[in-house]
Amino acid sequence: MHEQTTSPVYEVSFSVRVAWQAHSLSNAGNNGSNRLLPRRQLLADGTETDATSGNIAKHYHAGLLAEYLEAAGSPLCPACRTRDGRRAAALIEQAAYRNLSIDQIVRDCGVCDTHGFLVTAKNAASDGTTEARQRLSKHSLIEFSFALALPEHHAETVQLVTRSGDTKEEGQMLMKMTARSGEYALCVRYKCAGIGMDTDKWKLIVDDERERERRHCATLKALRDGLLSPQGALTATMLPHLTGLRGVIAVCTSTGRAPLYSALQEDFILHLSALASESCRISTFETIEEFHTHMRALIETTRPALPAAWEHHD
Amino acid sequence: MTDPLSAGSAQAVLVQDKGAKQTMEMSSLIWLRADYHLPATYSCRVPMSSITSALALPAPGPATVRLAPIRTGIEAFGVEYVQSTLFPHICAMPIHIRPPERVALTSHVLRAYKVEDKTQETNEAPIFREMVHAQGSVTVYLQVPSHLQESFSSILRMIGYWGQASSLAWCTEISAGAPSTQECVVPLRLLRGDAPLRPFFSTILSEFRNGSVTWKEVMPVVRERKANPLRLDVYVWPLMLTEHHGSGKLFVRTPFGELGSNGPNKE
Repeated sequence: MHEQTTSPVYEVSFSVRVAWQAHSLSNAGNNGSNRLLPRRQLLADGTETDATSGNIAKHYHAGLLAEYLEAAGSPLCPACRTRDGRRAAALIEQAAYRNLSIDQIVRDCGVCDTHGFLVTAKNAASDGTTEARQRLSKHSLIEFSFALALPEHHAETVQLVTRSGDTKEEGQMLMKMTARSGEYALCVRYKCAGIGMDTDKWKLIVDDERERERRHCATLKALRDGLLSPQGALTATMLPHLTGLRGVIAVCTSTGRAPLYSALQEDFILHLSALASESCRISTFETIEEFHTHMRALIETTRPALPAAWEHHD
Repeated sequence: MTDPLSAGSAQAVLVQDKGAKQTMEMSSLIWLRADYHLPATYSCRVPMSSITSALALPAPGPATVRLAPIRTGIEAFGVEYVQSTLFPHICAMPIHIRPPERVALTSHVLRAYKVEDKTQETNEAPIFREMVHAQGSVTVYLQVPSHLQESFSSILRMIGYWGQASSLAWCTEISAGAPSTQECVVPLRLLRGDAPLRPFFSTILSEFRNGSVTWKEVMPVVRERKANPLRLDVYVWPLMLTEHHGSGKLFVRTPFGELGSNGPNKE
């Protein structure tokens, strides 16, 4: 019997302001070899600000999660073992996985379970060369917003860099790279109760509570690391300086949503702090040390709750 | 057939289940109003817009507002209760959607990867997706039977996103209150013929085909060829373009009546 020393958590949300200096974590592309283009978002107050996409944050979280799951001895599917971003969808054309089911995917892979997957439906070919295929999917349990720079607190510096051409005749090429700095508002939501579940029917698939806990801890550790050690584009030569992290962690202990509030608002910590209740624990932090302490407590003392609908199931 | 959007004052709901059996449930109805804070950028895709060049809506459309309570209801109460008790009402209930006070749309270039089935070769391509930043709440109004008010309130409180799962939303308040239709999205066919349309944001939206949509048509896990539960229509949002800023556009909520129109017709 597994002794319960942890408390159940249904959902966790993070509303944070993170300060990155001299980064290029997410870009809109480039203008030939002329210029690397930063990402920009128009805000509803009419100002345009710098942004980094949630896609890249999610991509790197999935990679780190796979590493933590492997270290913890949790199973990964063959696609996630090779870090194939398609996850379960990469397997479906292989003969051994033709009859893949949602139960099998969720049971056999912690990354597919947490980050979701989509195997698209397919109609049978009229000449009989391909069979019809049922859609299989699970929504991601972890969602990242765009990080939006505070309009008055960001700057961009264009750096002229050189790089060698492919051949000696091409010589040196000049390129303008942007280094951006600023304080960014970011939201993350993690629906822990969905671990090991088919969230279309809210049916429990992974009934080994230790395995659910392993996946939960790995997800939180990858989240913690992603904020304390920034990951994204061009970090090989432009690893950002992390100079500040403040915000709120909201922990919902029973069925319901953990609140999120835009950290673009100056008083976001105040608003979220006022929402503390018996079923919603609010932890605020002003430094990376405080954030780390809260995360350690979450990792060591919580486990994914079971949804109310499942608990009333039998 | 009763249009769910135009049956605002009805005191009886025509409930059609499984496309055949019709029952008339007499019950007092109540308007529930749910306000959602949108803490970050979001992107509810315009129906029919290409996935490689996706345009975004200023707020979720009617079909999204009907589908969300089904998904969230299953999480809160289980499949059986949603299917047998709530689903007929979700299909038939009148709904209204009020967009945020200000919305800014920006087109983003993202990288998409596709692996060819036969060669297993990975190709990268740029795709475009509009992202929206809003000021003010998006408000959803549902008219529900009063005996189900508590269930619907719980579900509305639990809706955590609209459209795309990363389009985060958080319900700040549930209250009783009828909509001001001048501030809500409306089908073009219900606007007055002489209303000035040009300044308003108009778009195609999807809505449930009619009240006879069945559970099997909506749930994606059933292995059957299904009729399309959705229909498309042109809608007008009470939002006016006020500014172009690079590739971005800024819209401000303006009630239909303020431009001399008398707002949507009552059918």
